[in-house]
Amino acid sequence: MEIDLDGIVIIVGNYGSGKTEVSINLAVNRKRAGLEVRIADLDLVNPYFRTREAKAQLAELGIEVVVPPMQYMQADLPILSPVVAGMIRQPSQLTLLDMGGNDVGVNVLAALGDALRGREIHVFQVVNPFRPFTNTAEGCLKIRDEIEKASRLSISGIIGNANLIDETSARDIYTGYDFALELSKKSGLPLKFVTVAAELMPKIDIKRFTCPILLIERQLVPPWKRAISLASKME
Amino acid sequence: MGKILMKGNEAIGEAAIRAGCLNYFAYPITPQSEVAEYLSRRMPEVGGMFLQGESEVAVAYMLFGASACGARVFTTSSSPGISLMSEGISYMAAAQCPAVLVNIMRGGPGLGGILPSQGDYFQATKGGGHGDYRLLVMAPASVQEAVEMVMLAFPLAEKYRNPVMLLGDGLIGQMMEPVEFPDHLKSEPTNKDEWATNGMDTRGSNKRNLVKSLFLDAGKLNDHNLMLKAKYDRMKQEEIRYESYNIESDYKTLIVSYGTMSRVCKTAIDNMKDEGLEVGMIRPQTLFPFPEKAIYEAASKESCKIVVSIEMSMGQMVEDVERSVKGKLPVRWYGKCGGDVPTPEEVVEAVKSF
Repeated sequence: MEIDLDGIVIIVGNYGSGKTEVSINLAVNRKRAGLEVRIADLDLVNPYFRTREAKAQLAELGIEVVVPPMQYMQADLPILSPVVAGMIRQPSQLTLLDMGGNDVGVNVLAALGDALRGREIHVFQVVNPFRPFTNTAEGCLKIRDEIEKASRLSISGIIGNANLIDETSARDIYTGYDFALELSKKSGLPLKFVTVAAELMPKIDIKRFTCPILLIERQLVPPWKRAISLASKME
Repeated sequence: MGKILMKGNEAIGEAAIRAGCLNYFAYPITPQSEVAEYLSRRMPEVGGMFLQGESEVAVAYMLFGASACGARVFTTSSSPGISLMSEGISYMAAAQCPAVLVNIMRGGPGLGGILPSQGDYFQATKGGGHGDYRLLVMAPASVQEAVEMVMLAFPLAEKYRNPVMLLGDGLIGQMMEPVEFPDHLKSEPTNKDEWATNGMDTRGSNKRNLVKSLFLDAGKLNDHNLMLKAKYDRMKQEEIRYESYNIESDYKTLIVSYGTMSRVCKTAIDNMKDEGLEVGMIRPQTLFPFPEKAIYEAASKESCKIVVSIEMSMGQMVEDVERSVKGKLPVRWYGKCGGDVPTPEEVVEAVKSF
């Protein structure tokens, strides 16, 4: 089952749920499917491991990454580029907004309220049940509520991103999938897709899933590891 | 409980709770603010307390006061914040008040930057504040090790009645790794009735406890310092911790590196091994006391020709490495400041250049 997604997509979720890794890989997935893709790094609250770190790799694929001005790239300052409002008003085939964590991470969306008004948007909550505070459906629903209040937007779907990074097992993926299905049932929100790391994919029985799978080619890695090359997979 | 995925900062906060610490005082600063954020949510759940001071100066004295009363206390900060706390840390060391301090280092000097650094090695291991005191300093290289070290730090702080510091760089605080937590420890210092000003009625004793750092009499201050020195000497006997890597090979170069920098070095060592070049490494897990003997012995290996200290600073630990090697071999330094963590390729290039 393929991911079928276009328009304006806003990726939200609690701290460390994997929003950025999901956003980067979703951008790559859609680009490979032939869409014109732009992605904005709107994580104004987190100092490290942000979309901007994958900018060069994404640019090589022809994905435009909107980041703060160069001189502020390594700052933890709440800088919102005016380009972001422009990219919402004149969206690409896929316009991805990668938000910061929790409710504070989406406060910035209020500043984009005028640009977003009247537009059809998708707001997806990334959940990883192996993270603190979102290991129960109730925890995820609490975060959903907080994010909706702060952003004044309604979340429209769930992305299951169960993982323990390098230590993820096939069983963790299945546990996470069941968790996401349960959350979908409790919240009434559709499960848009779940993620599986590229290296784990051969061990996964995809027949078990009724939703699409987003392959994760990990880009946010510590300095002693290498990000997976994205260019080699381009058709 | 199975593994969960945590940011270092969150895991450090959770580890303090698991160690039975219910008193957290702090002031936010990047890149450690997630500890405060995490504990502001978690502490009330376990009946604990997070009090944000009006500055790091205030935080240090909140720690001092609560510790003097026998509470298990904890703070986290980053480089400039630790500078502000240094006076209070000296007072705590002098008055023998246990506390656990975490420094998630950022680039310096001054306001510096918010990216990872190891520029506070001197500050942590050589004093920082005034007077003849030492902190027991541990340096984790992974999120799991940060958890284990925080949990070990509390009993060690109480054993020595001395502040213990966890020295992590920004990456330790910000990176996410799977972690597991051991069981809770008990929440009260075991020896507090012997020294804490917790009230004679409370402890059912008629011995008066006094916590102070003022000794106006020259002889008494000298005696006090000798007693403190004896504690630091005991740490050197009992608390040295380190890890060796590829030390069984016939290495020509010995790397000494700590924290996340040592993980870059491990990748570099593996890459060099593939090329047929053997390099060994000693990773100090305690920076004070420093694993001098282990480094001397590793440098004494017949095949070893040079020792290189690799650190995210302009050459601080290298002085302790030189001291450990005792002139037996040439000692070099390689490092970078500013937040660009050296890559494995850069480490390989540096090692080959010496």
